[in-house]
Amino acid sequence: MSADTKTTGTATRAPTVGIYVYGIVPADVDVDPDARGVGDEAAPLTVVRHDQIAALVSEVHLDRPLGRPQDLLAHERLLDAAATEVPVLPARFGAVLTNQDAVVDELLAPHYDEFRAALEDLQGKAQYIVKGRYVEAAVLTEIVSENPEIAQLRDAIRDRPEAATRNARMRLGELVNQAIEARRRVDARKAADLLSSLGVAVLVREATHELDAVNVALLAETAGEPELVSACEDLAREWQGLVKLRLLGPLAPYDFVARPQPDGQT
Amino acid sequence: MSPMTTAIQPQGGATMDRPSSSSLADVVDTILDKGLVIDAYVRVSLVGIELLTVDARIVVASVDTYLRFAQAVNRLDISQDKEGLPELMQDMEQGGAKHKTKGAAQGVLEAAGEKLKDVIEDYREEPERVPRRSRRED
Repeated sequence: MSADTKTTGTATRAPTVGIYVYGIVPADVDVDPDARGVGDEAAPLTVVRHDQIAALVSEVHLDRPLGRPQDLLAHERLLDAAATEVPVLPARFGAVLTNQDAVVDELLAPHYDEFRAALEDLQGKAQYIVKGRYVEAAVLTEIVSENPEIAQLRDAIRDRPEAATRNARMRLGELVNQAIEARRRVDARKAADLLSSLGVAVLVREATHELDAVNVALLAETAGEPELVSACEDLAREWQGLVKLRLLGPLAPYDFVARPQPDGQT
Repeated sequence: MSPMTTAIQPQGGATMDRPSSSSLADVVDTILDKGLVIDAYVRVSLVGIELLTVDARIVVASVDTYLRFAQAVNRLDISQDKEGLPELMQDMEQGGAKHKTKGAAQGVLEAAGEKLKDVIEDYREEPERVPRRSRRED
């Protein structure tokens, strides 16, 4: 299969352009001609097809690093937009192949059956993420009132200079952190159980902020979204003032794509 | 005569935030260490482009975290408990802004939701602050 790589005038030297891979989709997708990819040049999004599957790709210049905020946002937004229309296997950020032939010969063709089966499994589904963040003053107020040692340490440092109370502050902060971790375990489990009862796959993610209450990923039928929204609203009402809850999605199923087999044989 | 009677909305409808797209912090949480690992499928033609990404994991509790919590607890006005809560929260938010002088990774994560524009400018000024190679040599 001949690839129509648009090379620049420098094609005879070491390659300066690579093919950035966003993810795998069914071959019958159309891309928005205005969609732009990662990198300074923000090249148009294109599709490399092989039989019934395809890779979403764009050209990137290899002499400039990737990873600025606009690159990260472009990567996710292209995939999330695709996920609202078709099943998609999202790639981790940063995968670049030498050319379009390599996308077919090394990625799509050798793993054809696996990718096709995975895409079929994802038909009609998308990922959602439920994130909750403790409202700091509210959660600290509860923690102080529940924990005598914390309350005592609070009195000990109350309005005294930081330098003179450093040890007490360290101990206080450590206890507060432990108390938040304990609450997080309970609250994340509660949210996960509630969402599991809707019949969706639920995965408790690691907290990524010290005030995180909940960080769970779901793989759900997009047709069931109203029930999901309603369940999250119930939870948000219950936690009003204590946890700020957000629902993200539909997204590409980043948390639910199969782990590769470590056999290395291709 | 267009009636203006619908201005009052029932309470409780706006408890959950449903953003139309993910913030930078959400994206960092998601696409850097999740998703299909193309490296595992493709070996020969993988190109090792340099990545400037940040590590999302900042939850490892540190001395900084402890001292910040202690300061936040010190500022709490427990006696006003319930009635004073909105005021307290406002206080906290203002206080929070003072603590944003940390490393680049935390700066991105804390500010990303509200201050994406600032973050992008930071990156432009110092693109080499947190470089890391993405390819493992295995």
